Amino acid sequence: MELALSIAEGGARLDREGALDSGAQIEAFLREVEARAYRIAAMNIRDRHEALDIVQDAMIRLVRSYSHRPSEEWRPLFYRILKNRIRDEQRRRTVRSRVLSFFGGTASEEEYDPIAEAPGASSDDPLERATSGDAMQALERALKELPERQRQAFMLRNFEGLDVAQTAVAMSCTEGSVKTHYSRAVHRLRAMLAEHGEEQWA
Amino acid sequence: MSDDKDMSAFERKTKQVFDESVAGLDAATRSRLTQARYRALEELKPQRSRALSFTLVPAGALAAALLVWFTVVPPTTVDDLEVASLNDLEILLAEEDLEMLNEDLEFYGWLEEQPEFANAGDGIG
Repeated sequence: MELALSIAEGGARLDREGALDSGAQIEAFLREVEARAYRIAAMNIRDRHEALDIVQDAMIRLVRSYSHRPSEEWRPLFYRILKNRIRDEQRRRTVRSRVLSFFGGTASEEEYDPIAEAPGASSDDPLERATSGDAMQALERALKELPERQRQAFMLRNFEGLDVAQTAVAMSCTEGSVKTHYSRAVHRLRAMLAEHGEEQWA
Repeated sequence: MSDDKDMSAFERKTKQVFDESVAGLDAATRSRLTQARYRALEELKPQRSRALSFTLVPAGALAAALLVWFTVVPPTTVDDLEVASLNDLEILLAEEDLEMLNEDLEFYGWLEEQPEFANAGDGIG
């Protein structure tokens, strides 16, 4: 009887310790990715506050829905959530622009580019603007020219360091597609930066 | 082959540039990200404790409202009500007053029968 109680208490203690470990693990994971995730969101949305909200929402959704999953799965799942939130925000802006255009707003459907039209993250914050170098600004300009899937593949593979399989999970596509998008993105970026005389990329 | 080598160098350069831009984030943004992380970690709390906190908040608000009500309403009003209630009870329970009312009725009946007071109510006399 005592042995059974002892085993039960030990099991409960291990569960509590496991939960604590899991909490510490996911906190460490969020701490590791938060700044990079924000930077990616800001590059896509071009609005500091909106980017912060998107990152917070992605964190909450990850913890709420996937904290029980193995920690190896967190990274691709988190970036999938982030990617979807960014896409939703861009669609919302497009719809808003169309409504404005319908009611006589200034933005027309053909001219509207949600990325180009939105206020720039770097322009919002003088300190951030001062610390971001010319090279990053040139890279951001070039990234804006890429198709969405190529931009996603490049950011996830190159900036975030996801491998091909993780990027495929994050982008909800095959590994072959990831390789294709990434390869094309790298070639186009290099060509664009060289074409615009960005010497630091030579 | 040389292309592959250049591509690797290019990729390293883009990653380095991005890492530097992340390292250059301002303190306000980092602080806001820390808050966002703590907010997300709130989701790890057991559902029961979060539900309890959701029920405790309205209960606390109700208790606070009641407390404010009883402290703001003037105490004299309550005393007046109590005194009025006590007076009514005293009247209802006082037997001598009812007896006196009986005697008065008899007196008013006798008075009406007296001839010198018979036409007093018509306003002529």
